[in-house]
Amino acid sequence: MESTDQNLSKKERRELRRQEKLSQRDAVANKKRTSSVLLWSFIIIFVGGTIALMIGLMSKNSPTQFVAGAIKAASDNDQIKGAPLPEAKIVLIEYSDFQCPACRSYYPMVKKLSQEFPNLSVVYRHFPLPQHTNARPAAQAAEAAGQQGKFWEMHDVLFDNQQNWAESRTSQETFLGYALAFGLDIEKFKTDYDSSETKTKIEKDYQSGGRDINGTPTFFVNDKKIQNPQNYDEFRSLLEQIGRNP
Amino acid sequence: MTNLEASLNKSAAIPKWLPFCFLIFSAVGFADATYLTVKHFLGTPIPCAILQGCEQVTNSQFATVFGVPVALLGSFYYLTILILSVVYLDTRQFLALKLATSLTIFGFLASLWFVFLQVFIIKAICLYCMISATTSTLLFISGLIFWTKKQPPSPVS
Repeated sequence: MESTDQNLSKKERRELRRQEKLSQRDAVANKKRTSSVLLWSFIIIFVGGTIALMIGLMSKNSPTQFVAGAIKAASDNDQIKGAPLPEAKIVLIEYSDFQCPACRSYYPMVKKLSQEFPNLSVVYRHFPLPQHTNARPAAQAAEAAGQQGKFWEMHDVLFDNQQNWAESRTSQETFLGYALAFGLDIEKFKTDYDSSETKTKIEKDYQSGGRDINGTPTFFVNDKKIQNPQNYDEFRSLLEQIGRNP
Repeated sequence: MTNLEASLNKSAAIPKWLPFCFLIFSAVGFADATYLTVKHFLGTPIPCAILQGCEQVTNSQFATVFGVPVALLGSFYYLTILILSVVYLDTRQFLALKLATSLTIFGFLASLWFVFLQVFIIKAICLYCMISATTSTLLFISGLIFWTKKQPPSPVS
């Protein structure tokens, strides 16, 4: 028989061991909890940080700048909108492709600019990219409409409906439909559409771009190339600056 | 109880680095797809270049599915894999890894389709899209390793 004293101490020892085990388990659980909190906060910071970083990168507003490159000045052979050339304080020349989605995105901005600046001349020059199979036919349609004084009307309609004809095999019929809607002389339109004069004009525009243009749209303000503005406000503040100090 | 033991045994057979592969590849894929998504919604209109490249791909009609940009779907895909691998690392829930692995099959098939579109239909390569194709392929390979490791060796008679 063991003494009660020993029994007690045995009990105590057992109790002690149990407590030790418990606190050990607690410590393990605590450690696990901490590491899982750390893990999840790390992931949340990573995900949130990535999104914030990308948005920050994209919406960074830098003033539009002139870059190397100059272009042949506008003349009466060009398609011009807004102030007549001799009176214009600012001349904005755009090299554009009717089938290019980016040109389509800039088209409302340019339109708004020409409404906002009475002393601005907007010049459109054709730069149909080789990979856009309907860009040249669209340019021909615009020029043919131009022969009857409706170049800019056709220009607007082409951009407004770009997705309807861009990949179409019957784009020519679509263009004819637009011409009809403008009430153009359809026989003359057809002749002008295919005339060598029209094709030469487009080719001349394309060639005039030279090495300064490696994509569309490319803008020139008073014959000097600019970096494409990120949004309308940037575009406007650039023109305001030019308008103030010519 | 036996089920739990069995799954514990199975998870023990998975190499320790495998969940980290899922984690890293999906994180890279997520950053890449998010870049393209944000660009889609906020970026300046990407000019159409004579030398065809990214804009050719991201401007194409294949860049959106029912109006939803493919990049956004990609972001969600990688985020799901990322969260599942973190759930596994945190709770050792075998199911999370199993789910992530099944998802990688879809990611891989989608990538195959988009690489096919770029090479044969659009005929232009977008670097960011190729990075995504790479990460989803790596995820798929990690998934394959997972499937081979998770099966207990079959008894040879």
